[in-house]
Amino acid sequence: MDKPKIAFYWCASCGGCEEATVDLAEKILDVVNLVDIVFWPVAMDYKVEDVEKLPDGSITASFINGGVRLSEHEEMVKLLRRKSKLVIAYGACSSWGGIPGLANLYSREEILRYVYHEAPTVENPQKIQPQLRIKAEEGITLELPEFLPRLLPLDLVVDVDYYVPGCPPTPEVTWKAIETLLSGNLPAKGSVLGALDKSLCYDCPLNETKPEKVLIKEIKRPHEVIADPTKCLLIQGLVCLGPVTRGGCGALCIKAAMPCTGCFGPLDEVIDYGGKAISYFASIVDYSDEQEIEKTLGKILDPMGIFYRYSLPASRLRGKITIAER
Amino acid sequence: MNEEPRIGVYICHCGVNIAGSVNIKEVVEYAKNLPNVIEARDYIFMCSAPGQEIIKEGIKKCNLNRVVVAACSPTMHEHTFRNVLAEAGINPYLLEMVNIREQCSWVHSDNKEAATTKAKLLIRMAVAKASLLEPLKEITFKVNKNVLVIGGGVAGLSAARDLAAKGFKVYLIERKPVIGGNTARLGRLAHAEIKGIDLVGELSRQVLSSPNIHIYVDTELANVDGSVGDFKIKLVKNPRYVNEKCNLCGECVKVCPVDVPNEYEFGVSSRKAIYLPFREAYPPIYVVDSENCTRCFECVKVCPMNAINLAEKTEEIELTVGAIIIAAGHEPYEPPIGEFGYGVSSRVITLFQLERMLDEAGPTKGELKLDGREPKNIVFITCVGSLNTTPNAYPYCSRMCCSSTIKNALMIREKYPEANIYILHRDIRTYSRGDEQLYLKAGESLIRFARYREAPNVIVNPDGSINVRFFEETIQEEVFLPADLVVLSVGMKPPKDIDKVRTIVKVGCGPEGFLREAHLKLRPVEAATDGVYLAGTVTGPKNVIESIESGSAAASKASTLLTKEEVRVEPLIAVVDEERCSGCSICIGVCPYGAIRLKTQEKARVAEVDPALCKGCGACAASCPTGAMQQFGFKDAQLKSQVLAALTK
Ligand SMILES: Cc1cc2nc3c(=O)[nH]c(=O)nc-3n(C[C@H](O)[C@H](O)[C@H](O)COP(=O)(O)OP(=O)(O)OC[C@H]3O[C@@H](n4cnc5c(N)ncnc54)[C@H](O)[C@@H]3O)c2cc1C
Ligand code: SF4
Ligand code: SF4
Ligand code: SF4
Repeated sequence: MDKPKIAFYWCASCGGCEEATVDLAEKILDVVNLVDIVFWPVAMDYKVEDVEKLPDGSITASFINGGVRLSEHEEMVKLLRRKSKLVIAYGACSSWGGIPGLANLYSREEILRYVYHEAPTVENPQKIQPQLRIKAEEGITLELPEFLPRLLPLDLVVDVDYYVPGCPPTPEVTWKAIETLLSGNLPAKGSVLGALDKSLCYDCPLNETKPEKVLIKEIKRPHEVIADPTKCLLIQGLVCLGPVTRGGCGALCIKAAMPCTGCFGPLDEVIDYGGKAISYFASIVDYSDEQEIEKTLGKILDPMGIFYRYSLPASRLRGKITIAER
Repeated sequence: MNEEPRIGVYICHCGVNIAGSVNIKEVVEYAKNLPNVIEARDYIFMCSAPGQEIIKEGIKKCNLNRVVVAACSPTMHEHTFRNVLAEAGINPYLLEMVNIREQCSWVHSDNKEAATTKAKLLIRMAVAKASLLEPLKEITFKVNKNVLVIGGGVAGLSAARDLAAKGFKVYLIERKPVIGGNTARLGRLAHAEIKGIDLVGELSRQVLSSPNIHIYVDTELANVDGSVGDFKIKLVKNPRYVNEKCNLCGECVKVCPVDVPNEYEFGVSSRKAIYLPFREAYPPIYVVDSENCTRCFECVKVCPMNAINLAEKTEEIELTVGAIIIAAGHEPYEPPIGEFGYGVSSRVITLFQLERMLDEAGPTKGELKLDGREPKNIVFITCVGSLNTTPNAYPYCSRMCCSSTIKNALMIREKYPEANIYILHRDIRTYSRGDEQLYLKAGESLIRFARYREAPNVIVNPDGSINVRFFEETIQEEVFLPADLVVLSVGMKPPKDIDKVRTIVKVGCGPEGFLREAHLKLRPVEAATDGVYLAGTVTGPKNVIESIESGSAAASKASTLLTKEEVRVEPLIAVVDEERCSGCSICIGVCPYGAIRLKTQEKARVAEVDPALCKGCGACAASCPTGAMQQFGFKDAQLKSQVLAALTK
């Protein structure tokens, strides 16, 4: 029997997910033994034509990381969808948009203007900016992919079968996801692979240090304190999103005394991660006086960046929508 | 419940109340075509007997398993229609009500089309939710027949007396070494020819003669668990160091070297570290003030009864009761040093100190003398601590200070006919029975009333003499009075540490700290927490009459609970999906009723809701970060279906 065929592809991502795959270390050899990798632009020299030539549905599973931000991403994920039995959104960006998804707070024009002209580190006297088509020196016309109006998570562009969470997914999560897929015993469509069905607190070694009532009077930003690594970070006033975030990461950040920022995303029952995070966090501010509450929560200078860090494009808010777009 | 939903929609005209602005025919036709709806009917009064019959008939004939009633507010008739479902043999919680009266016809009476469209939309949402309703079971608890009364003032004593007379066992706790509260320290009461101590004495006799009442003095509440009908109480009894062998011989007092101001005489006289709070005190046993006792053991040596044990320890007491009455009373307002010269001159005293001085059995045997001389010019200032008179004062009226001031002024007039007596007031509120006559009598007795708006200025001169300066509102003139004695008619404030009791028993409070009733008019002696009742001044200023009335009222309310064998509670409470709960404990701190606890199950921690304590407020469900906490009748899926129905065409 032929070995299962696997493809890896990256869209709008930082490359960390690719790195994480490599971090499987010697296990990567097991993977290579068990499957045929038919496409992996980062590591192997395959061309798009190679994929196009494959019969539809012949790839067992495509692991796609990153959100869809360029027309090229859109074309590629649609191609891979056609060629694959299963499409897996790999990592936070692909699942909900991730950090590049925060760019949805700005219009395409604002982003281009800032990045190519206004950012303090930019020197661009010729006012060069990406064009869809340019005439190169030899008289040839070059085409560039379009920078789409906004970033979309994978499942708003193609049908997605499974999700692997994390920014990036840890090697353990990745390995567990691969094991599940190879076991032949496939879970329900739409399931999250490799992680827990409970939030991080369940898995966190500090959970039992919580007092009976988790209520906070003062919020501290991570640079303001040297956190006690033996006590729940939340009760030390740090905004830990462990309670609202899917467990399975092994509490890596917590073990380094850094609060959870939510990269494993929401649990199944939660409709909007950021909304849930805000309502959980606001509930435990231990004041009834409006001004005190405002003062305490005012310490959160960037609520979008904290509560929607990985999930803005997949949220109810989606981002900034211009009237023209609507 | 996995069966297919079969929904009946019943639309009420409410006479012309609804039918006047909502096109009922159109709405019925619309409802018939909604998903899972088997029948839709209308009637002029759905809540009437024939209307109820229509629903029952529908349930039977069409084999319905869900009912939507579009009529008035659920607070009005949800109960009625739940009973209809139960009588027709289906679970009463498979009902969803739509308020098309208040929310459609009444508010859009000028726009029939809009009212009709909105009614359709609300019904569509209710039908969507109804499909996901689950049958629920009512919660019942057995009622324990004992009662805890907190506070041994007149309110607590009268509540205890009445409940014991009905045959319930009463545990009365008082944190002071004696019962009687503030009334025991009042001289002749304003409204009756009886002294405070005699009134307390009479009430105490009634209470002590009942075998059903157990009194614990020196005792405070430490913890309350459980809920209505079944509270588990923990008390702490502080050591008194003297036991009931005490025969009141007073030998101990003669040898005690300590001298401190006597708080029961409001500092008018002093006492020893071992003392009897006052002569008629119950229980008639001396007490050692541990804070001031030097442990010289002199008293132990002289006590002929061997009644003193300075090594006594605090004791914990556990009880189970069905109801709790809080009658923790009030405290007199204590002016800060310097307010109206208080604490600066010994010639400025409070009304309570005056009460003690005028009492023939008090420290001065009824003599009003300062530095050996009878005061000639006496100035009362009322509303001290009340009506925002000074920056430290409370905003409310303390209700008894006016009458009490006039009563005391008249007593002075009787004893010292020559004295000049002035009452400076912001307002005179002699509302209680007989008080207006007292006021008139005071006028006839040449007690002079003057009205101020800005707080009077009490000037203590270097030679010790006092002048009171204020702007008189009636004659619109600055007035300057020399005074030998200034009496501050202090009001009431919430008792010390009431917040501790409040948190343990879980009762709300108003902005000034007095405990809050479930509803000032409809439920004036009940707390919002089931099984907890409030009596006396703990909810705000009252005179003795009103305090005793409210004590009896609280007892009567409590007995309607205690005579029941069982209490039933609506099952619209929170519930944890243990598979999803991560044991993060966020919900626990959020619950205002302390209804949630963590338990350890298969090594993992999961939250658990005590159905007896949960009030179904939903705070936990909103805060639960995982979606594990849900509320029966308002589960996320049910609400989501409603929202989707509202947003999709
Ligand atoms: C200066 C002044 C003059 C007044 N003159 C008159 C008058 O002439 N006529 C009149 O009708 N009314 C008068 N009143 C009002 C009268 O004093 C009150 O109406 C009455 O005392 C209220 O009774 P109560 O039982 O509610 O509270 P209280 O008398 O305050 O009794 C409450 C009891 O509860 C106890 N307690 C408090 N907290 C706890 C706790 N945590 N645990 C256990 N025990 C606790 C207290 O020690 C106290 O014994 C006067 C009040 C003042 C301040
Ligand atoms: S809040 Fe954060 S630190 Fe505290 S138990 Fe949960 S994950 Fe751990
Ligand atoms: S619904 Fe309200 S009362 Fe019930 S457990 Fe939740 S927070 Fe507590
Ligand atoms: S908040 Fe939710 S997840 Fe956390 S302990 Fe409570 S029920 Fe469990």
